[in-house]
Amino acid sequence: MSRRTRPALPPGLIMPLIFLLALLLPWIPLGPSSNYVLRVLTTAVLYMILALGLNIVPGFTGLLDLGYVGFYGIGAYTSGLLAIHYDLSFWWILPLAALNGALWGILLGAPTLRLTGDYFAIVTFGFSELVVLVIRNELWLTRGPMGLPGISPPSLLGHTLTKDWEFFYLVLFLLAVVLFVVTRLEDSRLGRAWFAIRGDEIAAQCCGINLIRYKVTAFAISASIGAMGGAFYAKWFKFIHPDMFKFWESILILCLIVFGGMGSIRGTMLGALVLIPLTEILRAVLPQELFSARYLIYGLTLVLMMRWRPAGLIPFERAQEALARRAEARIRSRRGGEQGP
Amino acid sequence: MGPLHELLDQSSLFLQQLVNGITLGGVYALIAVGYTMVYGVIQLINFAHGEIYMLGAFLAYTMVTVLHLPFFVAFILTILLCSCFGILLDFIAYRPLRQAPRLAALITAIGMSIFLQNLALMIWGSQIKSFPRELLPAVFSRPALVLGEITVSWLQIFILTITVLFMAILHFIIHRTQVGTAMRAISHDKVTSALMGIGVNRVISFTFAVGSAMGGMAGILVGLYYNAIFPTMGYIAGIKAFAAAVLGGIGNVPGAMLGGGVLGIAEVLGAGYISSEYRDGISYAVMIAVILFKPSGLIGKPTGDKV
Repeated sequence: MSRRTRPALPPGLIMPLIFLLALLLPWIPLGPSSNYVLRVLTTAVLYMILALGLNIVPGFTGLLDLGYVGFYGIGAYTSGLLAIHYDLSFWWILPLAALNGALWGILLGAPTLRLTGDYFAIVTFGFSELVVLVIRNELWLTRGPMGLPGISPPSLLGHTLTKDWEFFYLVLFLLAVVLFVVTRLEDSRLGRAWFAIRGDEIAAQCCGINLIRYKVTAFAISASIGAMGGAFYAKWFKFIHPDMFKFWESILILCLIVFGGMGSIRGTMLGALVLIPLTEILRAVLPQELFSARYLIYGLTLVLMMRWRPAGLIPFERAQEALARRAEARIRSRRGGEQGP
Repeated sequence: MGPLHELLDQSSLFLQQLVNGITLGGVYALIAVGYTMVYGVIQLINFAHGEIYMLGAFLAYTMVTVLHLPFFVAFILTILLCSCFGILLDFIAYRPLRQAPRLAALITAIGMSIFLQNLALMIWGSQIKSFPRELLPAVFSRPALVLGEITVSWLQIFILTITVLFMAILHFIIHRTQVGTAMRAISHDKVTSALMGIGVNRVISFTFAVGSAMGGMAGILVGLYYNAIFPTMGYIAGIKAFAAAVLGGIGNVPGAMLGGGVLGIAEVLGAGYISSEYRDGISYAVMIAVILFKPSGLIGKPTGDKV
């Protein structure tokens, strides 16, 4: 039936195994550079979370969202401001930031998701630029270009997190939560509606899918994951600045999912795991002047991937096939549609 | 100082702002034309168009300072180079994706934009460059008209003349020539046009050439006007020009001109009277509002979805 060889491990075991390996990572002695490696990996995992969140909109639903970094910024500032002014614990801040992100996602999405794809892209871009402008100029709230220093680190059961491995574990935990949510969504009624919209909007509508409602849901969930990423970032880095949330970040995150495979969860994670450490290597290797032009590589990646491998490293279709196989096993009925040539 | 004097002061300030706004609007219109024509023909937001505008400024700057060409020679050469560049961009990046989903073309456009911007950063560095005054025609820095407090410089007149002139030429091309008719036909229906014997790819190349020529020209003019050439200049100007194109009604050349004018004035007045920090924000807000409430723009025709 299939030309592809099945993986030796049952697919349900791969992710837990990777997580187990990741948990062991901080204890591998790497000498003096081990903290640096951990910080790079924490960044990579953070970007995995962000990419998984963004993936819901262009990957699952097929709409180009250029304003994702706006939600990341909203989450980071929600987190930073709540920590500084109200001294809330991270475990309160996290859901609040996610809610705030979702709120803005709905506010932006409800009117704009009626638009055709490219208008939607440009409006989301405008939104993220407006977010940065507001952060930069509303000094009374955000201190603008002075940034927001002195954000307290998160704590767990009275113990304040300070070490690199503690943050690494925290971000891995968040990734596990997000990954759980996203994989469950992919295989749900909601996910199937999104894939239908991605495939053909008009056909989906004819099948009774309420386009706006499903698109807004996708956008809100994506926004709340972005905001959660921001909330973690603020608490981890302890300092945030409007320049951290510029349009470039959106491009970088988009690049991660295009590189890995748009719509494919594993591809998205692989994209972050490859490209984020690559950035760090470039930072170490290139002189400062050339490093500031590193986005050249991301731009080129986008162009080349679209030209020669639009489905990315781990194509979404294969993930879809796996889903279909699972469904097949469940229903134990003949699979609809014919296998391609 | 009496109240009358103050009132005069106020109104002359307003008029000065208006003149500046119209000049800026002319430049936006020149860039917007490139977006609007390409969108009209292949329904693609060519994000890299802003980068062609930036390249126009840098190329002219390099020709004037490094190659020591006279300004007007550099001006014309740059425009030609930019239009070749537009054709090349279409050929390399967009043509292979003509049959691909729109999302792919859009992502390619963004990728190209980022790529070119950073290429410029590598070649010319992040330092802000400006045309050396002594290498420019002396007339540019002289005021042409001084009416009380209001000054209109020759440069402003030059910009506006060029804008109006080229808009008129463009209008003529689109409505009175064969290639213009072909462009309009393609924007209606690409497949049928091809069946009728129109060389679709040739016409699309022509569209890119004309749009990029205008964009490059706008880049030089802005480089002169604001005295600032830098790698990210295309990114903001591009978005604003796109806003102008949408405001006027995308796919509509006179609309681009109108949209550019309105946006330029709104921006300058908004920066002068409301808040200079939100100068760029005004354009984004106008753009979002137009897309939300009147996506067909001021004088565009509403288009239904093609099923």
